[in-house]
Amino acid sequence: MGLCAVARAVAAPPPVNVTLEPRQISLGETAQLTITSEGMGMDGITLPQVAGLEFRVVGQSRRVEIINGATLATTSVILRVTPETAGIFTIPGMTPNSQPLVLRVNPDNGSGSASQYNNPNLANRPPLAAGGSSTNGIRTTADGAAFVRMNLPKRDVYVGESIPVDIEVGMRAGFVQSLNGLPTLTGNDFTLNNLSRKPERVEKLVDGKPFTVLTWHSVLAPVKPGTFTLSVQSPLTIRVRTRAARDSLIDDLLGDPFMQNFFGATVAKDVTVSSPPEDLKVLALPTEGRPTDFSGAVGSFKIASDLSATTAAVGDPLTLRLHVTGTGNFDRVDTPMLEHVEHWKTYPPKSSFKESDAIGVKGEKTFEQPLIASHPGPQTLPDLTFSYFDPETRRYETARTAPPPVTIAPALADATPGAPSSATAGASATPGSPTTAAAARPAAAVPPEPSSPEMRPDHAITAGAATSLVPLYLRPTFLAVPLLALAFAGGWFGMRHRGASLGISRGRNRRSEASANRLLQPMRAAARAGDAAAFFTAACIALREALAARWQLAPEQLTADDLAARLAADANPDAAGVLEIFALADEAKYAGRDLKSIDYDRWTQVVRSQLLEAT
Amino acid sequence: MRAHRDTRILLSVLALLSLGPVVAHAAPAPYSADGLYNLANSYARAGKPGLAVLNYERARLLAPTDPDIEANLRQVQKSAKVPQATPSAFERAVTIAGPTTLSWTGLGGILLLGASLVAGTSAGRSASAGGIPSRYRWLRRLSAVLGLALSGLTVCNAVVVWPQLHQAVILTPATPVRVAPVPMGDPLFVLPEAETVTMTAEHEGFVLIHSHGRSGWVAAANIAPVVPH
Repeated sequence: MGLCAVARAVAAPPPVNVTLEPRQISLGETAQLTITSEGMGMDGITLPQVAGLEFRVVGQSRRVEIINGATLATTSVILRVTPETAGIFTIPGMTPNSQPLVLRVNPDNGSGSASQYNNPNLANRPPLAAGGSSTNGIRTTADGAAFVRMNLPKRDVYVGESIPVDIEVGMRAGFVQSLNGLPTLTGNDFTLNNLSRKPERVEKLVDGKPFTVLTWHSVLAPVKPGTFTLSVQSPLTIRVRTRAARDSLIDDLLGDPFMQNFFGATVAKDVTVSSPPEDLKVLALPTEGRPTDFSGAVGSFKIASDLSATTAAVGDPLTLRLHVTGTGNFDRVDTPMLEHVEHWKTYPPKSSFKESDAIGVKGEKTFEQPLIASHPGPQTLPDLTFSYFDPETRRYETARTAPPPVTIAPALADATPGAPSSATAGASATPGSPTTAAAARPAAAVPPEPSSPEMRPDHAITAGAATSLVPLYLRPTFLAVPLLALAFAGGWFGMRHRGASLGISRGRNRRSEASANRLLQPMRAAARAGDAAAFFTAACIALREALAARWQLAPEQLTADDLAARLAADANPDAAGVLEIFALADEAKYAGRDLKSIDYDRWTQVVRSQLLEAT
Repeated sequence: MRAHRDTRILLSVLALLSLGPVVAHAAPAPYSADGLYNLANSYARAGKPGLAVLNYERARLLAPTDPDIEANLRQVQKSAKVPQATPSAFERAVTIAGPTTLSWTGLGGILLLGASLVAGTSAGRSASAGGIPSRYRWLRRLSAVLGLALSGLTVCNAVVVWPQLHQAVILTPATPVRVAPVPMGDPLFVLPEAETVTMTAEHEGFVLIHSHGRSGWVAAANIAPVVPH
C-alpha cells in the first residue's frame, strides 16, 4: 500500500537520475526502471505511459549520506517494466532535461511462439507466453503456466482421410485465469471437424508440477496433398510473473499463486498458446486400381446386408439394408446399392449413420433401399459391393456381400377367379394362386355351409361365363355395332331424302308440262286449220281452267270483270294479252269478224305461260 | 323395286354388324358370377374380407340383381366395419338385368330404331312401290318408341355401372395412404381392409385413390381393382 502511495503525483523535488536495466530483454522478461531524486519523498512522480509496456512500482528506497558534515538524502523508486509484445520501445524522459530511454524487446525464442510471428493471421492476437521447458513432447510457456499439445499419427496420411487427433491444453493450476476459446488449427491446409464441445478434464503432473489438462477429440481432414506444418493454438488468459526469473526466487518459494498474487508477483495477460509445429505428409489417393464405384471413402470398412423379409408378394415393398461398419471418413461413404435389377423395381437408398465414438470416425452407416418385386417365384438379388481406400494397406479394397434369397408370391391384387383354388380349402387356402373359373366350379358343385349363419350359401354354377368384367356394351367390339349402324342408317337416310326431293321436283315439272300440252292441243289444231274462232274458243277454255285452278274457283264462276280485277291484283305481266284473248274470242264468236292476219304462235305462248304458271 | 333393294341392303348390313358382338361374346370366358360369388364366400370364411369384397363386387358386376351377392357383400362389409353404399332409386331402376342382357337389349333397341327409320323413308310410297301400307304405320311408331326406350335403358345402365369399373378394394389391414407415390411418402391416413375406393390415376406402382372426400396414394400391392387391367 505504501508503494502505491508513492505512485501518486507530487510536485517536489524533480528527479535527478533515471536508469533502465537491462536495455535489451526478451519477451516474457522484465526490465527495471529506477528513478532517483534528491530529498526524502517522491510523491510527485508520474508513471510513464508507453504502449506495449506495463509499468508497476515494486519498491522504494531512501538513502542518506553525510558528506563533510552535510547531509544528502536521495530517494529511489523502482518500477518493473513488463513488455506485452516484442519491439523497440522508447520511454520518454521523466524531466524536460532527461534523455528518453530505449528498451529493446526481442521475440520469445524459447517456446512454440515463433510461429506466431511468422503467421500474418496472428499479428493482432495477444502475445504468446514466453517459451519454457520441453519434456515428453510437452513444451510449456516460459513461466510454465500452460501448454498445448496435439497428438498426430506417425505416418503419411491421404487426402480425404479422417485422422483422429487429440488436442490437449494443459493449464497450471492458479496460473491460468481462463480459457478464452476452443483450440484452432493454424493454416488452411486441413480442416478440424467434429471438435467435441466438452473436453475431457484430468489432473496431471508435468515436470513434477500439477496441471489441469483439457483434452479435445477431433478429426483432422487434409484437403490437398503435400507436406504441411501443423500446429494448434488456444487462447488463454494467464497470470504472468512480473519479476525477472532471476528475481523470482521468492515467488517460487511462495509457491501458492494466491500468495504470489497477494504480493503482486503476477499480472493477468491474454495470450495464445501454440503447440510445437509438426510436419505431416499428405499423399494423393492413387488413380491406379481405383474402382468405378469408389465414392471417396478412406479407412477400413466391413459390410453386411439383410432384407426386411425373406418372403413377400409381388408388389410388396421390401427393404434391402447395407451395413457399412469400421473406421474412416463416413461422410464419404456412399453407394447407389442396386440399380436396374431384372424383375425388381428399385428406389434410391436412404442412409443413416450411428457413430460409436465421440468424433464420428468409428460407427456404422446403414443404407436402406426400397425394392418391389414384379415377378413371383424365388429371387436372388445381386451381390452388393462397396469400394474404399485402405490407408494401412495403401490400396483400394472392394467389400462384397450377398443379400439373402427371397421368395416372392403372386400379388394379392392378382387374385383372379379361382383363388383359392378350392372353396373347400377354407381358411387354409392360399390367396393369389392363379387358376381359372373352371377350377372353381367343382368346388361349387358341393357348396359348403357358410361359417356365418347370416351369410347365404354358395351357388351351384349354372349361369354363363363372361370373357370380361367390363359390360358387353362397353367393349369396343360391341360398341362399334350401334355406332356403325347409326352412321350407316343416317347416311342412307340422308341420301334417300335428297334423292326423293329431286324426284318430286322433276315429276311435278313433267306433270305440269303434260297438262299444259293437253290443253294447248285444240288450239294448235285450230291454228293448223286456220280457224280463228275455234282457236280463241279453245284458248279461252284453257285460260279459264288454268286461272280458275290458280284462284281456286270453278271455271264457270269466272266472269270478265272478275278476271280483269284478279289479273290486275296479281300484277300478271300477261294480263293485257289474256284479256285481249278473251276479247278476240268474243269478237270472233259474236261479231263474225274475220281474223286472217292473226299471230297464232304469240297467242299460244301467252296461254302456255299462263298454264305452266297455274300448275 | 329400288326401294326394296335399299331396304334389303340396310338390313343386311345391320345383320352383319350384329355378328361382331356375337363373335366377341363367343371368346373364352373365365369369369362367372356364381364362381366369383363362391370364391368370395370362401375368402369370407377364410377371414380375408378384402378379397371377399373384391370378388363380391366382381360377381355383382356380372349379376347385379342377385340378392345373395348383395346380402353377403353387405354382411362382410358390416363385419369389416367399412362403409356400405346404398343404391339410389334410379340405380335400382336401371339395373333390372345383367349387363350382358342389357347389351343385347340395347342393340335390339338400336335395330328397332333403324328399322323404323327405314320404314319411315318408304311411308309415302304405295305398297307396290315398297312402301308400308298406312294401316301398319302405328307399328313403325311403336318400334321407334320401343327402340328408343331399350337403348335408353342400356345407356342409363352404363352411366350407373361406369363408376364401378374404376373402383378398387383395399386388401391389407391398415393400409397407409401416402401423400406421394413413393414408399417413403408421408402417410395421410389409413384405410381399413375391404374398403371400396375409387381409382383416378396410377404412377410407378402406386394408385391415386379417393375415399369419402379424401385422396392419396396407395401401393398397388395393397389394392386390387374391381375390373382387372
